[in-house]
Amino acid sequence: MYVDMHCHSVSSDDSRATVEQYLKWIQVLRKRGQQVDAIVLTEHRKFDAEHDYSALSSQYGVVVLKGSELDTRYGHFLVYGANQRLQRSFDFTDTKLDSVALMQEAKECGAIAIPAHPGRFGIGFCEYVDKGPDFSDVGIVELLNGGSRRGENERAEELVGKKSFLGTGGSDAHFVSAIGTCLTEFPQNIRNEQELVEALLAKEFRAVRLEETNHH
Amino acid sequence: MTRYYDQVDMGDELASVEKEVSDQMVLDFCDVWSSGGGASRFTDHEIAKKEGLPGAIVPGIMSMNYMAQFLAGWADGGQLKKLDVVFRQPVQHPQTISFVGVITDKNQVAGENQVECDVYIQNAYGDRLVGGKATVVLPGRK
Repeated sequence: MYVDMHCHSVSSDDSRATVEQYLKWIQVLRKRGQQVDAIVLTEHRKFDAEHDYSALSSQYGVVVLKGSELDTRYGHFLVYGANQRLQRSFDFTDTKLDSVALMQEAKECGAIAIPAHPGRFGIGFCEYVDKGPDFSDVGIVELLNGGSRRGENERAEELVGKKSFLGTGGSDAHFVSAIGTCLTEFPQNIRNEQELVEALLAKEFRAVRLEETNHH
Repeated sequence: MTRYYDQVDMGDELASVEKEVSDQMVLDFCDVWSSGGGASRFTDHEIAKKEGLPGAIVPGIMSMNYMAQFLAGWADGGQLKKLDVVFRQPVQHPQTISFVGVITDKNQVAGENQVECDVYIQNAYGDRLVGGKATVVLPGRK
């Protein structure tokens, strides 16, 4: 199963794509022989609890999951399985969250928080990994990010190699046609956020580019 | 040659266009835009560097203007109805930038043949500096 682990709908202030537009575009990709089975909406500094995408998900045959992309003192973190307990524990709008506390609390309440685009110059986790606090809870980072500039995914790759981290892939789409450019391949089917967290903890996944899903 | 609504489809790419943006072009633009407002981060590399930028940058409104020109050139015979732009990274000058786009949807709305496009300004390395979502209205055949 191929999952785009990082994308933004118009619920994020800097995105111009609706969820339905993403799902329609995935039909275009499928006609080209490419495969995107699920997307995770990781809205900036929020968890979008108000929208229900189940009807669209059924209509277009794409699993739509929800997560968050939060701003911390040590770069952006993607949160999967962001349940009510985690949302009560942190002010998601805070741009200086404590990433270590976030990772620990996420772990305790059945969620998982991982550094997003760690190779991003100036603000990515690479800048802090050996300078900040104890990041021993980090075992997974976003390895392939579709919004990266030249050199940034390469820095992430170097980090993953050096620290023996696992890596996910996500498009970081803010516009329709960017959805699915980077993905994470899982061996099992994932139907909800809890199964996504379990699949990440099972450590059997790999980051791929969209072109790699083309089996035609 | 006129581009008709029935000639385009979702997933079609807009033919890319390159443009060399010189320091002088930005100076000329700023002369008109800011009525001779003096040196700024747009026209003076040293001022830009003092503000933490790598060098002088193209004003956002100028980038948007170029993007609109690109779309209007593609939509020969049509009209640009809406352009919503997100500035991801500063566009430095002088440099050669390219405009790329793709059709993401098409719909007939209130008698109009509307085409939705994603459009980007890229540098020579393919880094997407500016992104936009545009609605273009194309003519139908009589």
